[in-house]
Amino acid sequence: MTEARKNSLTDKLVIIVWIIALIIVWEIGASVVEKTKRSPQNVLPHLSQIVESVFSDKMVSNKQTAFQIVITNAGITLLRAGIGFLYGAGAGFLLALAMHRFITVEKATFPYLMMIQMIPILGMAPIVLAITQDINKSRIIIAAILTFYPVATNMLDGLKSVEKEKYDLMRSLAASNWNIYTKLLIPTSIPYIFSGLKIAAPMAITASILVDTLQGGAGLGTMLSQSLKHAMSIYVFWQIVFFSATVGILSYKLMSFAEKIFSPHERAKGAR
Amino acid sequence: MANANETEINIKGLCVNFPDKDNGGDIQALKDVNLAIKEGSFVSLLGPSGCGKTTLLRSIADLQDISSGIISVKGKTPKETRLSQQYGIVFQSPVLYEWRTVRRNICMPMEVIGLPKEERTRRVDEVLELVGLTEFGRKYPHQLSGGMQQRVGIARALALDPEILLMDEPFSALDEFTKEKLQIDLLSIWQKTKKTILFVTHNIQESVFLSDDVVVLSPHPGRVSAVVNIGLKRPRDLAIRETAEFAALVSKVRHSFEGIYE
Ligand SMILES: Nc1ncnc2c1ncn2[C@@H]1O[C@H](COP(=O)(O)OP(=O)(O)OP(=O)(O)O)[C@@H](O)[C@H]1O
Ligand SMILES: [Mg+2]
Repeated sequence: MTEARKNSLTDKLVIIVWIIALIIVWEIGASVVEKTKRSPQNVLPHLSQIVESVFSDKMVSNKQTAFQIVITNAGITLLRAGIGFLYGAGAGFLLALAMHRFITVEKATFPYLMMIQMIPILGMAPIVLAITQDINKSRIIIAAILTFYPVATNMLDGLKSVEKEKYDLMRSLAASNWNIYTKLLIPTSIPYIFSGLKIAAPMAITASILVDTLQGGAGLGTMLSQSLKHAMSIYVFWQIVFFSATVGILSYKLMSFAEKIFSPHERAKGAR
Repeated sequence: MANANETEINIKGLCVNFPDKDNGGDIQALKDVNLAIKEGSFVSLLGPSGCGKTTLLRSIADLQDISSGIISVKGKTPKETRLSQQYGIVFQSPVLYEWRTVRRNICMPMEVIGLPKEERTRRVDEVLELVGLTEFGRKYPHQLSGGMQQRVGIARALALDPEILLMDEPFSALDEFTKEKLQIDLLSIWQKTKKTILFVTHNIQESVFLSDDVVVLSPHPGRVSAVVNIGLKRPRDLAIRETAEFAALVSKVRHSFEGIYE
């Protein structure tokens, strides 16, 4: 118990040291850039300048401050990322079940899954946009495709990982397929599903931001590129960088949290 | 009430081979096993490690494909018997579902065969008491010791109250005190319910103390080398193990082993 607590304490210390080191390096870099470049904030502003821009009430465009721009556009992007994530997770879940139940489904679909996964998002996104003609649908579809693969493959691994004797117990009871799946196979694959979801969540967010850049209009990605092209304050860019990183990490944490809800025995381990 | 003279499980010429990957041949896990197990009897399968005890139990339970021979359970195949949900199994390892609490692990088979909730709860309380784990019903398997986990596995099979109970070394992971208590408890449950029990063990005393018949198995290839009838009076208590009659039976069983090694 004390051992575990000590470990989590060292973990936290390591993270804090890392963050401090990062801040120091950043600031040194920013000072150097400040002296050598003409518009240093484009390359590497001081962290304090970015923080200041968050709280500044200076209008940058459309009667909005930089931070308001980030928040309203984040809503547009993240909502689609979230919907796509849910669709993708659901589809991945169902396909994993189908692949496990029918070996032919696995044989028939697995190569295509691999192929879809190998097309870079940068190539896939314009195609999806061309087909759907709608940026919102594209965001959802791309996020769904990205979520789908890790969930399906991880869950399939989980379904296959069931120990033989646990399965034999069900067999000895002449259990129905429904019972075998709901009482044994799916519970066994829950941790696997969640490792898929943890990979997918930040990816779905990144992908939606990327899809934004395909079309003007709105969304984090659009603002990102406009800001880079100096159509608006460069601090919008920096804020979006930090904001997206934070949301990405939070989405991962959210999945860990959801996993704990679904696996009370793991919670009992933590409490020991 | 079971008819004590009727054969429940009849095994004729049973062979089970496993492919031997090292030399391309077959491992003969069981070779020409013939066995008749009477309805309502307590039969032990006794033998050293690797002699095919688990394989024999699994073959009867229809969890193992057999290479040749016939197994019939009251005229039905093992598969038909399994599908009519007459088997309860205690595996050699506990085989608990780690995401379920102790109580819910014990409940699981009863859920599958469709017992009503009140009945399940009643039986769980009963068997938890029996295996001395009443306090631990809400714990998860990883919070229990190995011996406690094994007791949950036993409790799960007992709660199911099957017609045929197949137990694979259920007590070998337990301490001497718990083991003796559970031996007595198992005997009294068996006496009350008159179910057929097939009990795997590698402990000669245990097999003599519990059984009507001790089936002595020898390894390489796995085969039946003797069936020793244990005529000790019932009900039995621990004191019976001090008697000369008991000692004589133990030595008789032991000698039926020595036959093979000579
Ligand atoms: N799935 C398997 N594949 C290959 N060989 C097997 C398999 N299961 C058992 N065997 C072999 O069959 C023989 C009998 O095994 P079994 O598990 O029935 O022994 P056992 O009497 O239960 O031993 P123990 O007391 O150690 O549990 C052994 O030689 C073993 O190597
Ligand atoms: Mg065994």
